Amino acid sequence: MRLVEFWLSHRNELLTLIGQHILLVGTATLVAVAIGVPLGVFAARRPRMSAPLVGFANMVQTVPSLAMFGFLLPVPLLGGVGPRTAVVVLILYGLLPIVRTTIAGLNGIPAPVREAGVAMGMTPRQLLQQVELPLALPSIVAGVRVAAVVGVGSATIAAAIGAGGLGEYIYRGLSMVDTTVILAGAIPAAVLALVVDGGLLWVERRLGSRRSHRRLGLTAGAVSCIAVLLWGGALLAGRGSETIVVGSKNFTEGVILGEIVAQTIERETGLAVQRRFNLGGTLICDRALLNGDIDVYVEYTGTALTAIFRQPLGQDPAAVLTTVRESYARSGRAVLDPLGFDNTFAILVRGRDARALALRTIDDAARHTSGWRAGFGYEFLERPDGYQGLASTYGLRFQEPPRVMDLTLTYRALASGQVDLIAGDATAGLISALDLVPLEDNRQYFPPYDAVPVARSDMLLRYPEVGAALETLAGRISAARMREMNHAADAGREDPSAIARRFLSEVR
Amino acid sequence: MAAIEFLDVSYTVPGGAQILDHVSLVIGEGEVVALVGRSGAGKTTLLRLVNRLLEPDAGRVVVGGRDAREWEPIRLRRSIGYVIQDAGLFPHFTVADNIAVVPRLEGWDDARIRSRVDELLQLTGLPPAVYADRWPGELSGGERQRVGVARALAADPAILLMDEPFGALDPVTRAELQSEFRGVQRRLRKTVILVTHDMREALSLADRVAVMESGEIIACDAPPAMLASGDARVRKLLEAVTVPFSQDS
Repeated sequence: MRLVEFWLSHRNELLTLIGQHILLVGTATLVAVAIGVPLGVFAARRPRMSAPLVGFANMVQTVPSLAMFGFLLPVPLLGGVGPRTAVVVLILYGLLPIVRTTIAGLNGIPAPVREAGVAMGMTPRQLLQQVELPLALPSIVAGVRVAAVVGVGSATIAAAIGAGGLGEYIYRGLSMVDTTVILAGAIPAAVLALVVDGGLLWVERRLGSRRSHRRLGLTAGAVSCIAVLLWGGALLAGRGSETIVVGSKNFTEGVILGEIVAQTIERETGLAVQRRFNLGGTLICDRALLNGDIDVYVEYTGTALTAIFRQPLGQDPAAVLTTVRESYARSGRAVLDPLGFDNTFAILVRGRDARALALRTIDDAARHTSGWRAGFGYEFLERPDGYQGLASTYGLRFQEPPRVMDLTLTYRALASGQVDLIAGDATAGLISALDLVPLEDNRQYFPPYDAVPVARSDMLLRYPEVGAALETLAGRISAARMREMNHAADAGREDPSAIARRFLSEVR
Repeated sequence: MAAIEFLDVSYTVPGGAQILDHVSLVIGEGEVVALVGRSGAGKTTLLRLVNRLLEPDAGRVVVGGRDAREWEPIRLRRSIGYVIQDAGLFPHFTVADNIAVVPRLEGWDDARIRSRVDELLQLTGLPPAVYADRWPGELSGGERQRVGVARALAADPAILLMDEPFGALDPVTRAELQSEFRGVQRRLRKTVILVTHDMREALSLADRVAVMESGEIIACDAPPAMLASGDARVRKLLEAVTVPFSQDS
């Protein structure tokens, strides 16, 4: 029931996301066909080439999609944050089935048929167009079907790099730990996959019965043209010259802060704002800002210091802010004034355990951890201000190596007893919602994590009013207020944009 | 004038066995010559030299008074009809479209193609109203082979190459098609090379029979002379004929 309500209340957004999803998969599949079929024809003609080619395509297929997005982010022209990279990745995935079925289809043509064509005086081109491709078509369409269905699935992951599509709901749901929102994206994606599968299967069957080739060819041509036009239109409309692109990280607080920044710019300047939220991690956001794929997002000083600029840990908030500001300035980016709260890492345990064992500080917990299990987000395990330093500072040892999971899932994992200690965000709304207790960082291991908007300097020079607008947010968000907003999203299931709107109307 | 001349041709599979060993044979216009011999004797290879599906590595093939190598291969092939064992029809074309392949390649207009297709269907005993729009998959073996012959004749080529055209058919259908072939040939007077391993078929259809063995023509004569041959290898092929004779009559 909640699911239907969600769809109804978000129906415009839902339609947009479905449209984006279809566009992503459609474009990628068309391009994969345009590349894959000629490649398959080429390989079928030269058997010596086909093994390495299919081998390579196979290898590409085995790269996990998230890793593939990661590889492509820094690549010029192809990479970057946004739909372009997603399309490139989906094309790469689509190539294998198409190349393979093209080869199989061509090799499956009976030798006498091909020989008859040659003996009747067909040129190699006429043979290909009139005999070989039409006969291989059912097999090729089977490959396109596989490519498109896999594409519908892979495209959900594309939301991690700001490409949009139904993955947005899945990521949003994950970050809010809200199954309804996850399903709101997952169900349409599954239905889309089934529709694509069924539709192409129908085409395949029809081709198998060898009729109306010409009409199908025309239909396919028309569909391609429309898709390409739509795509071109979407790209043009997507980013006019007067548009400020706001990014965000992929957890509740990131999205809420992204909304606050976006709505502030919209209200104060009247400029158009495009949202690219839920980007999958600090380094992806950083790369996107550097490339100009986004113009502004909210980062935390300690995170920028250690994870982006690889500086030693510092404890003084003002000093850290200065260091970070100088480092950003060297790559053409400006740090605006802090928003007013410090979202440090919170080492969390269950309230039940804290009360039973009288735990107040991390040192208190260190005495018990040898019998405990820990769960951390991907970033925390790797970053310089993360697990390694924490463990050596406090002498933490666990029963088994820490489990790696999505940051937003760690809270649930802790509450349900699958792990006994996690590193969460101090401002996470789930902390009180799930009766979790933050332990004091009594040895002051963590640096300050003041939330600051970071923006491209060239954008601020061009639109000084954006800088002025963001200044109005300086010092306006307290840790308590942030926790409250996070809680409204995580426990109250409230929409981030509605939360941001309420906040802005209150502070005015 | 000779329609096809093989002048001392040899052919070796690249990196493999020698298939043809200095073969010479002259075929006159309007003549039907059967190439007979067991599998691997080189019959099909010799046939394929005519339309340059293969190139000899020694000797010359002359088609219509010109060395085959001087012909543009596409031109050459479009002026020669080609019929193979299981017809090699395009499964995604209707019967009419299959027959119209060469006329379409040659750019005939639709009306001319339509009337030519009807004419050929009549000639090969397939009523156009029934067969023109059917698919090869819906035809019997004999019907497919008739379409194959009609397709080969479509652009009215002077030369017809037939590689085991009736090989895959049941004896009754085969006899039927053989007798129709004789009737059609009487009217059209094509130059025909017919590859077969069936000596009886060769004797009943051909003006001359060339017996091949291990890449050579070991005997070449009109059927009556062939029947009287004293060559032991020819006699062996002739003896094989009498066995099926007694069986299916």
